[in-house]
Amino acid sequence: MADSAAAGRAKKSPAGAFFSALGGSIKEIGTTFKEGDWKTRISYPVFGFGPLMRKQVVKGIALLACELLFIWYMVGFGWNYMSKFATLGTVATEKKGRVTVYGDNSFLILLFGLLTIIAVAALILVFVLNVRENRREELLLREGKALPPNRKVLGSLLDENFDKTLLTLPMAGIFIFTVLPIIFMICVAFTNYDAQHQAPSNLFTWVGLANFRELFSFGSSGFSSTFFAVLGWTLVWAFFATFIDYFLGMGVAILINRKGIRLKKLWRTVLVLTIAVPQFVSLLYVAKMFDPDGLINVYLMKWGWIKSAIPFWTNPMLARITIVVINIWIGIPYMMLIATGLLMNIPADLYESASLDGATGFQMFRFITLPYMLFVTGPFLLTSFTNNLNNFNVIFLLTRGRPQSMAMAENAGRTDLLVTWLYKMTVNNTDYKMAAVIGIMVFVVTAVITLVVYSRLPSVKDEEAFQ
Amino acid sequence: MKKKLIALMLTGALVSSMGGMAVTADDYGSGDIKVWVAENVVDFTNEQIGSFMEEHPEFSGYTVTVEPVGEGDAAGNMITDVTAGADIYAFAQDQIARLVTAGALIDVEPGNAETVMAENDEGAVAAATVGDILYAYPITSDNGYFLYYDKSVVSDPSSLEAIIADCEAAGKNFYMEINSGWYQTAFFFATGADLTYDTDADGNFTACNTSYASPEGLVALREMVELESSSAFQNGSSVDKATNLAAIVDGTWDSGAAQNVFGDNYACAKLPSFEGCDGNTYQLSGFGGFKLLGVKPQEDENKLAVCDAIAAFLSSEEVQLARYEAVGWGPSNLNAQQSDIVKADEALAALGEQLAFTIPQGQYPGDYWTLATSLGDSIISGELTPDSSDDDLMAALTSFQDTCISYAG
Amino acid sequence: MKENSSIKRKRAIGNTFTYIALVLISIIWLFPFFGLIMQSFRSFDPAVEYGGMVDYLIPKTFSLDNYRFLLSKSTNFLLWYRNTFIIAVFVSIGQTIMILCVSYALSRMRFKGRELLMRFWLILGMFPGFLTMICLYFLLKQFGLTQAGAVPGLILISIASSGMGYYVCKGYFDTIPRALDEAARIDGASRAKIFFILTIPMAKPIIIYTMLVAFMAPWCDYVFASYVAFGYDKSYNVAVGLTRWVWTNDYQGYFTRFCAGGILIAVPVTVLFMFLQKYYVEGVTGGAVKG
Repeated sequence: MADSAAAGRAKKSPAGAFFSALGGSIKEIGTTFKEGDWKTRISYPVFGFGPLMRKQVVKGIALLACELLFIWYMVGFGWNYMSKFATLGTVATEKKGRVTVYGDNSFLILLFGLLTIIAVAALILVFVLNVRENRREELLLREGKALPPNRKVLGSLLDENFDKTLLTLPMAGIFIFTVLPIIFMICVAFTNYDAQHQAPSNLFTWVGLANFRELFSFGSSGFSSTFFAVLGWTLVWAFFATFIDYFLGMGVAILINRKGIRLKKLWRTVLVLTIAVPQFVSLLYVAKMFDPDGLINVYLMKWGWIKSAIPFWTNPMLARITIVVINIWIGIPYMMLIATGLLMNIPADLYESASLDGATGFQMFRFITLPYMLFVTGPFLLTSFTNNLNNFNVIFLLTRGRPQSMAMAENAGRTDLLVTWLYKMTVNNTDYKMAAVIGIMVFVVTAVITLVVYSRLPSVKDEEAFQ
Repeated sequence: MKKKLIALMLTGALVSSMGGMAVTADDYGSGDIKVWVAENVVDFTNEQIGSFMEEHPEFSGYTVTVEPVGEGDAAGNMITDVTAGADIYAFAQDQIARLVTAGALIDVEPGNAETVMAENDEGAVAAATVGDILYAYPITSDNGYFLYYDKSVVSDPSSLEAIIADCEAAGKNFYMEINSGWYQTAFFFATGADLTYDTDADGNFTACNTSYASPEGLVALREMVELESSSAFQNGSSVDKATNLAAIVDGTWDSGAAQNVFGDNYACAKLPSFEGCDGNTYQLSGFGGFKLLGVKPQEDENKLAVCDAIAAFLSSEEVQLARYEAVGWGPSNLNAQQSDIVKADEALAALGEQLAFTIPQGQYPGDYWTLATSLGDSIISGELTPDSSDDDLMAALTSFQDTCISYAG
Repeated sequence: MKENSSIKRKRAIGNTFTYIALVLISIIWLFPFFGLIMQSFRSFDPAVEYGGMVDYLIPKTFSLDNYRFLLSKSTNFLLWYRNTFIIAVFVSIGQTIMILCVSYALSRMRFKGRELLMRFWLILGMFPGFLTMICLYFLLKQFGLTQAGAVPGLILISIASSGMGYYVCKGYFDTIPRALDEAARIDGASRAKIFFILTIPMAKPIIIYTMLVAFMAPWCDYVFASYVAFGYDKSYNVAVGLTRWVWTNDYQGYFTRFCAGGILIAVPVTVLFMFLQKYYVEGVTGGAVKG
């Protein structure tokens, strides 16, 4: 974090800041050693030795514990994996008689190799902190000042350093269960890890940019055209899902909030049911309702309105429309709740003066309600758009991406979003390498949209302004 | 104090000598063995393994647990993480190549292999073989399809045109899952188009033998398109999910459900024949399919021996018969097939009749199944219709065939 | 006076149309739930009524067979239910603690790298979650938290990264006047004391909102839960167990039982939600404005 902290200080050129900080650290390590006493010098190999000798027990023990933990990890576990990281393993699994002798497990080598590399980086960081602490203590002592008592050092963790106490656990959790896996999968995008190279029975290895080349090759494999087809639908879907729900939800909220409408709470409660009932129950049931032999088709046919079943799920266009429509059922209530709260914030006298000027209801909506809502909910619209880009549940529970098409590669269907396609690749095809590539693409799309839109939102102000 | 010590040492010696004795009688060691089978045969499998372990005290060091994991999930899980998977597991034979590639199957112990090959029907043995090596123990030979129908609606089950006409007249539905690679072949293999893959011993696909893009394939595809255009046609293969049912192409696993729906009008028959656009009559064909039992590669020789023995037992004649009696799965064992109770089963009889027209399902790449779904979906979604020209249909077939070929090698 | 009455009439007509619209919307919104309830009362016992898909809505005989089946020993439904409940309770508590810690630190404290940390987490959130599923599976396996240990494993995963979902809660903290903190600090209270004595009691609505949202999510978790349980059916949660009934061909005639199971899950969750709806509304509205 010190690197990032250093980089954070000078926002203008993070890279430059990073290197100047790096240079500073190296210089500091040198001067400290040259000018330091024997306690400081021994601290170089034995972390925390100086502080311990100077009775800074808390810091000393913490530093030493980090080093010991690292050594214990490295000897017992880490080195074994890190040493094979460059090749991801060379010993193949073989059969001796009928007994199987497993060789290197490329997957674990990659995963724990990464973890070990990160541990080494962390150790270097701790080392720098160790040096800095020694330096600080020495300077203080030289000036004739007393070092803070241990009680105070500990106490500061509940006061001015309370942020460190609060953030340690969340950051550790995020690091191990989000950052590490993401780095891991980014690495996988540069390997040939797929169904043919499945650990532990087979090895996989680094292949450079081959997978990205496959994604963007307009060859016979059709991967590229499928990618762009899926991407296109993903964007279209996110657009409709976000804006249709947004306006309809607002409309319903306005209806319910009309003066003189009774039972407001009842109407809201009815709508909110779709949020409360777990989606896998409601959406699976709704998906069945729209089957060719489901309730909707059967009743329409019974009443003689249609002759043959409407192919809600099998016609690509119709399937897409059906999904968007059913998503309204899920999406309106959220927007309705949000709009209800916000509409109350609009000063009533605005409407009164407008109606005195003879404005119609629509004009009031167009010139008062809508601008206000758009202004206030800009960031919400953006997040709900990116959430819809990755709206797995609705697609997965309704169609699982179907109907499939001859024109699409890797099992992609006409209603597949990038994320559901990704899911199919990992779970059904175990084609991890391409899944990782697609995952990176999803990230790129989301990030680009967010960056471009976010900076243009009118309501994005300095966050301090809220306080 | 001393006495106590001596007593302790004595009992210690006694225990260790007993242990030693046990070791001489039972040199298989000990451990846990995990078995995955479909939920509805968990109890049955537990009982069978219980009695097997009683008969074989030499395996008593092992604890066998049976967990309900369906055949589809089992294959997927084994491929994702072999080490956490079951030691013995049941799967449908279309998964065998993937499983071998992923290193999730060990070849059948040579002693058992001879017995398996001698005692099971030819199709089952072929389905359990990859390259020239037998990789699994067949347990059923009922994974095929035939026709269930309502006697009061369908008058002539031997002709597809007649069935459709009867259904349309009665306003009822005929179900067949044409967007499944499994059911689709009924049409293609009927007209003489073919599609098989060669595999090497590691489960890799080396060659694709196909003639879908041919006049024969065209006749088959056109028939599917024609069928789909009927108002009585519904895509599906599960009695429970069907409504207004008059006839369905389905397998033995649905015989109970079909009897419930049709009641006294329940009947089954081999698949019908159809008149193709070229004027010839073709008998619908299809796949014969099998359920197999696989053993995971093991690092311990003794455990492997125990797993081999259990798998061999679970696929033996007596257990196959008992399984038929318990849950109605048709045996792959030749002797069991000849037993009186199996022969008396109406659905199995129809399947037996149909099997003469099918080809034993060999190995297909996983992508084939989804590709076939795409082809079926193109028909259902109206991309291909009876009005499509021969050229359009042929274009679809050519692209299908090319993609099939691209999966090999 | 006349004008007034014409406005009134206009409004009355408008309201009538609004009522019609609202009633129509309500019917559409309730219909699937009505269907679900009806299906759940249709027996799967062929002696009573056919248990598969049917082309009518109201069962011919109302029966409790499905519910009896779910509560009996012939299925692990109750176990799945218990698993899900345990997961939901722990996740609800754990996530709330994590989020409170992060929100307080980011809202009240100013430290080196704060902005960078927030930006970094924002970027992390743009990676699709499924990507890391296989990796998380093997990480959990290393700790023995898959298959038989899937329940604690799922709890761990759900809590571990939850700090990143601090937006709504931090937004709420930002609205609590800082002057209060400053006053307390002048009185000599430590940061920790302010957090526990001052901020947390004032954050009751947002705590309830956070707990509610965290409690509801596990009831829906299918994808990762099925991955981690890895075929070990005693570790399933309700979503995994029931979804299998609908999708796999091994379990036929389970449709009505799925519906009944769905009702048993939906009713308590819905009741809880309705009780705490006020806080939920406050949370989503606040979250929407603050992005």
